[in-house]
Amino acid sequence: MTSSLTVLAVVAAWLLLQLLLLSGLAQDRGQTLLHDQLRADLAAATVPIGGIVAPGTPVAQLVIPAIDLEQVVVEGTSAGQLADAPGHRRDTVMPGQQGTAVVYGRAVTHGGPFADVTSLRTGDVIEATTGQGVARYTVTGVRRAGDPLPQPLAAGKGRLTLVTAEGDGRLAALSAGSAVYVDADLSTEAQPVPAGRLNAVTDAELPMGTDTSAMAALALALGGLLAVAVGLTWLTRRVGAPLAWVLGIAPLLASAWVAGDMAVHLLPNLL
Amino acid sequence: MRRAVLALTLALTVGALVSPGGATADTSDAFSATKSMERVFEEGGDRVVVDERTVTVKVDHTKNLRGRERVQVSWSGAHPSGGRATNPFGEKGLDQEYPVVVLQCRGRDDSSLPAGRRLARETCWTSTPRQRSVQASERTALWRQDAFASATDREPKSGLSPFPSEQCDDVERLSSRVTPFRAASGTVHVSCSATTMAPEAAADAAFPPAEVAAFTDVDGNGEVSFEVRTATENESLGCSSTTPCSLVVIPIMGISCADGASNECLKTGQFAPGSSNYSGEGVDAAVSPVYWWAESNWRNRISVPLTFATEPDVCDVKDSRAPTAFYGSELLSQASTQWAPAYCLKRDRFKFQHNRMADGAAFALMERGEAAAAFVSGEQEAANDTRVGYAPTAVTGFAVSYVIDRPDNAGELEQLRLTPRLLAKLITQSYTGSTIGQQHPGMAKNPMSINQDPEFRALNPGLDSIAREAGAALLSLSEASDVVESITTYIASDPEAAAFVKGQADPWGMVVNPSYRAIKLPVDEWPLLDKFVPSSAQECRRQISTPYMTQLAAPISSLRKIAEAVLDGWPNVQTKCTRSSVSDPWKMGRVDRQGIGSRFMLGVVGLGDAARLDLRTASLQTKVTRGSGTAFTNASGRSFVAPTESAVRAAVRTARAPRAALGALTLGPETTRRDAAAYPGAMVVYTAARLEGMPKADARKVAQFIRVATTEGQAVGAANGQLPRGFVPIVRTGATAALWKQARAVADAVEAQAPSSSTDAGDDDDTKPVKGAPGDGAPSPSGAAPGAEAPAAAPGTTPSNVPATTTTLEAAPTAATTSSTGRLLMASLLGLLLLAGLGAPAVRIAALVRGGRR
Repeated sequence: MTSSLTVLAVVAAWLLLQLLLLSGLAQDRGQTLLHDQLRADLAAATVPIGGIVAPGTPVAQLVIPAIDLEQVVVEGTSAGQLADAPGHRRDTVMPGQQGTAVVYGRAVTHGGPFADVTSLRTGDVIEATTGQGVARYTVTGVRRAGDPLPQPLAAGKGRLTLVTAEGDGRLAALSAGSAVYVDADLSTEAQPVPAGRLNAVTDAELPMGTDTSAMAALALALGGLLAVAVGLTWLTRRVGAPLAWVLGIAPLLASAWVAGDMAVHLLPNLL
Repeated sequence: MRRAVLALTLALTVGALVSPGGATADTSDAFSATKSMERVFEEGGDRVVVDERTVTVKVDHTKNLRGRERVQVSWSGAHPSGGRATNPFGEKGLDQEYPVVVLQCRGRDDSSLPAGRRLARETCWTSTPRQRSVQASERTALWRQDAFASATDREPKSGLSPFPSEQCDDVERLSSRVTPFRAASGTVHVSCSATTMAPEAAADAAFPPAEVAAFTDVDGNGEVSFEVRTATENESLGCSSTTPCSLVVIPIMGISCADGASNECLKTGQFAPGSSNYSGEGVDAAVSPVYWWAESNWRNRISVPLTFATEPDVCDVKDSRAPTAFYGSELLSQASTQWAPAYCLKRDRFKFQHNRMADGAAFALMERGEAAAAFVSGEQEAANDTRVGYAPTAVTGFAVSYVIDRPDNAGELEQLRLTPRLLAKLITQSYTGSTIGQQHPGMAKNPMSINQDPEFRALNPGLDSIAREAGAALLSLSEASDVVESITTYIASDPEAAAFVKGQADPWGMVVNPSYRAIKLPVDEWPLLDKFVPSSAQECRRQISTPYMTQLAAPISSLRKIAEAVLDGWPNVQTKCTRSSVSDPWKMGRVDRQGIGSRFMLGVVGLGDAARLDLRTASLQTKVTRGSGTAFTNASGRSFVAPTESAVRAAVRTARAPRAALGALTLGPETTRRDAAAYPGAMVVYTAARLEGMPKADARKVAQFIRVATTEGQAVGAANGQLPRGFVPIVRTGATAALWKQARAVADAVEAQAPSSSTDAGDDDDTKPVKGAPGDGAPSPSGAAPGAEAPAAAPGTTPSNVPATTTTLEAAPTAATTSSTGRLLMASLLGLLLLAGLGAPAVRIAALVRGGRR
């Protein structure tokens, strides 16, 4: 009884730790790598600006001075792609182009890059650096469920919609359960749109979508975790607890981390 | 010389017996004619009549025919046939005795016409050289012994002069005869070998042979459905609205033999009347259809003049105006092809065009203003608040058509009864098809095909029980359609069928395919859910792993294609393994056409197509008065209704009034249940159009269409602008009175175009609606959650006349997207941590305390 409760406590603690803290570290590292890649791509003028782009490719650098946000945006909005960076929805135009571009970002886990976008005010500036140059957007408002949709875009204009999640009540910071939108109109000149974008995305890439395709990988990761735990138990009997823990702590943490990362795929992509 | 004179006198005497003016038409469209005919043997100058018949031929309709349309030819008084072939079409029908040959020939049988427009043997279509050319020894060259043959026909080589000996590989000492085919273009095809035939007669041509040597029963009666071909299907034959053609019916009486004829000529048949010739044994040539062109037979012909409808492309050719396209239901397609010329050929009407499309998609197109109107067959889900009127335009429905041959060469099955549960079994792919399919988990005990199912056998006795892959499938639509919705409603509204789909075994122990168990019905698009891949020793199956049940069902995209598949007896089952050579990879493709005599196929069709192609349609169960849910051995206690005009009318009588004014009536299996005589597959096709915000020019066209379609468009007939068979006319009185009234009301409302609250509908030119936000070529975001995040693409905004920035539109609200996982996850983890973290020490302390007490 005692030990099972302890294990439960440890698992819950680990998940909280990973979701709130460790995943943030991983996201930070991911951003560093993506930033390097985007810089190189920009220099080489190979940043994709249209057509079908492989999910996970960095496509833009998003800067919002008002909330001190600097993030590289990757293509794709499923839970996996949003782990390292805000994601650009694959059936919308690229930032800076004519039409509406949609970018999703997490609010709580993985560093919560979009945690503060709801505090943006009308008039705040959003800058997006893409393969077509720097585009400047002006925020027109924050939109929640029930608010009227913005007016239809005139031909040749551009708009950026940031999507994230937020909660309410006492634990608002931790209970981000409803999608919220921030609209911004393009104030610089809109770029032309190359043809060949997708015209639909999977459910996993819609707001609050979950990616069940990670189920198999999760099962494997949990299997690995189990194997490490069994091995550790066996080692404890064989060579005693101190030595066993010294040997086993690193594989245990690593496999727990991997399993946690996989589990995140099954959670809503905006969380 | 003496013989020729004799023949002439003979011809004159016999000619007097024939009543050439016997053709009388009881209605304008049908045909009926009577002719008396004889077989005579000359014996030393005397004429002995060995057989005498008076044959009456009837054809049910002969006017305004279209490609592949089938006409019903029936006759009485003919010589009973013997040696019945399983397949009477084309070459396969030659090995029969005393059949009735039916051919399609170009031209009219009128001696006053110039030769080029008169029908002759040379303009009659056949698909093989054996039907046109013969080489025989002098003794067996019966056409040369024909009492009625002319002197030139008695020559050793005849038919073409000079005789094409080289082309025909002719042997000098044999007697030869060719009947060349003269194409519409004037080209003469010698037709004595596969290479000298007209191009449409190639082996495995696109269409199976239509010419038939049909069987007469022992009472002298017979009937056959004859498929006519237009220039579109057979250019060499070339029948069209401008080139008249005829149907030639030749009751084979046998060759009338001249004096000194051989024994071969005098033969009267070796098969008993009514017997079968399964193995294609040789027959007595003198009474076989192979000599249909010999004068003895040809002179007995009864010619039925046919007229053909204007070609489907007449509107494109004769009317250069831009068409106004209506989109939607394929059920209307037979009517709209007949209607279109009545619009485009009149200057005061617009150019009407019907493009087939799924009902829902067409409705959405109409709502967005990209189409003037949509043809739908039921209330559609509205995407916005624009008011839409539904004008009833045609009463028709779906049918399950079939072609099933009874065993032992007994002809086609004439009545098929189906219950909703049988349809459910077919559509859920619960028959296994073959031993390969029996590996399917959970279906090991199910019959392999429907003809093995005790339920089917109880209702349709007298069929074989050979397992067939085609008998495991109902060929249906791959696309979304109100027809699919109607079929699935029929299944869902029947308690027995619904219980079966939910997983309850039928009284004989058959269970639903687990992939479809408890599928939610009705649906408007049938999903292919079965993923079962069989293991097989077949090399081809080992290389290509593909779901087996899906190969059996293999739905196709249009009702017309299904109708043609049934017409050809050609299931769409995709299990035939082929490869071009042993070194090539295997491919899976469509199975072969079924052999006539063992056909078994079911398909979902529209009533219009079924009537046009003269397909047989199944009677559907309407009511169970006793024994529901239990096993049965015959059809008693269950009523079945065929899709006749009165049954469809009865169904319309059960329709409930629309919920909203000018909305669609509720008609379907859920309403027809009240009347056992009402056909459950009846459907009304509506012209749905916006009542506000439509440009005035379009509104006038739509109103005109509705008014014309519900007045002159409801006159039954085959001519342009009339209502084809397979539709029930909507008239001012009777069952369809409510429909007629509503159509009028909608036409008025459409023309009036109530002013819309937010837009000015005055501007006719600016008809382009606002498309997706990103401008041309860019995708509009959020297909699945419209309006949630992509404001500009939101269909909630009023569709027309939105200038760039001037007007402010009332925008739809942002939809709520929430996730309870997202809301509760962190809090529950935290709670769990607290609970377990505090619980563990608490439990330990409790244990210590208890231990201390002890």
